[in-house]
Amino acid sequence: MSEEAKRKILIIEDDKSLQNALAEMLTQEKYEIISAFDGEEGLKKAKDEKPDLVLLDIILPKKDGYEVLAEIKKGEEKNIPVLILTNLEEIDNVQKAIDLGATTFMVKSDFSLKDVLEKVKENLK
Amino acid sequence: MFLKFLDDLNFVSACRKYKLGLWQCPNFLFLMMGVVTIVVMFGTYFVSQHYYSETVTIASVSLVAVFILTISSFIISGVEKIAEANIMKSEFISVISHQLCTPLSAIKWNLEVLETENGEGDDKLTPKQLIFLQNIEKSNEKMLKLVNDLLEVIRIDQGRSVFVRDKVSLVQLAQEVIQNLEYLKIARKVSVNLRDSSPLPRVYVDPKKMKIAMENLIGNAIKFSEEGDEVNIILRMEKKRIMLIIEDHGVGIPRYQHSRVFEKFFRSNNASKYRTEGVGLGLYLVKAILKNFGGEVWFESEANKGSTFYVSLPAAVN
Repeated sequence: MSEEAKRKILIIEDDKSLQNALAEMLTQEKYEIISAFDGEEGLKKAKDEKPDLVLLDIILPKKDGYEVLAEIKKGEEKNIPVLILTNLEEIDNVQKAIDLGATTFMVKSDFSLKDVLEKVKENLK
Repeated sequence: MFLKFLDDLNFVSACRKYKLGLWQCPNFLFLMMGVVTIVVMFGTYFVSQHYYSETVTIASVSLVAVFILTISSFIISGVEKIAEANIMKSEFISVISHQLCTPLSAIKWNLEVLETENGEGDDKLTPKQLIFLQNIEKSNEKMLKLVNDLLEVIRIDQGRSVFVRDKVSLVQLAQEVIQNLEYLKIARKVSVNLRDSSPLPRVYVDPKKMKIAMENLIGNAIKFSEEGDEVNIILRMEKKRIMLIIEDHGVGIPRYQHSRVFEKFFRSNNASKYRTEGVGLGLYLVKAILKNFGGEVWFESEANKGSTFYVSLPAAVN
């Protein structure tokens, strides 16, 4: 197993079919996947499981992506790269996420799974 | 002009169209204002001829002022109501489009998983199944493009669109766009020729947005061409600016509709004859996008002879 194989990725995404597709593609690439379907669960798993990278949606139940991002960046996990995956492409949304410390901002409808995988690899180097 | 004026006077149909009551309908209120102004002018003349008392003059002027103010406030609230409805409409489109984006993205990603993990032996998809899968993919891409165009129009109108700048080669972008439109070329049996006078300087634009603009222009040229036609794309330098010329010999735009071509939701009468897809956002987007890069777009067109669209962009300084 390669070095990358042990890397843990937390996917915080409330849409089950998006979550499944992402998890499937990343599992095939030998990453370990942790799934969370709302902001609170995502934040808890980020603290408990200490993933190497977080894929974070913005519109989420219980706690939105901005709150999750802000709390991750306040705590011990602040160095974990957080990649935003959303369809909110407006400049204020992008700016807010970057200001809060997001590593990169990806628009789901523009990105293929391959593009997402590339960004993941880039940020796990 | 005169007909338009007469049309404006028909406030009943206008108010019915806006779904507003008479006292909230700007067309009716403006007419009222006009009537009041005329009555007041004659009234003032009458008062000044017959009464010399200061009290009567002050009282009549004050009465008229209050009346005008009241009508003005009705006009403002009527206009506000229409403006609010417009904002609500944009928000509604924005919410619906965002809601559509999630399932459409999910379809796209799940199809990608199916295609990339196409197994061996019994698990392998048959060539026929793969064709159907690709059909779903194409339809989904079309829906995504429609939704994304709608969202981009709203973002641009609200000043919330993200524009990043990079030095890019228009030749390369044109090649990529033509590649992306391969399916349309095949479906419409149209050939696309790209002629460029290389080496051309690069342009300083947002490649993603520029691609949207070029996809709309080149896509239109293909869509509105006849079977077997040629679409010519020419790239050349002209006075420190890069010119992108897209020429088709298709359906063209009737002269009387030329002034409306870059309007939102405009579709030429000739376009509907061809029953091509589209909602009339493409050229509005093209113009708005190019404006951000200091670019210009214009066209020449004649019904049933074809259209030539010209795009001019400043060349990037090395």
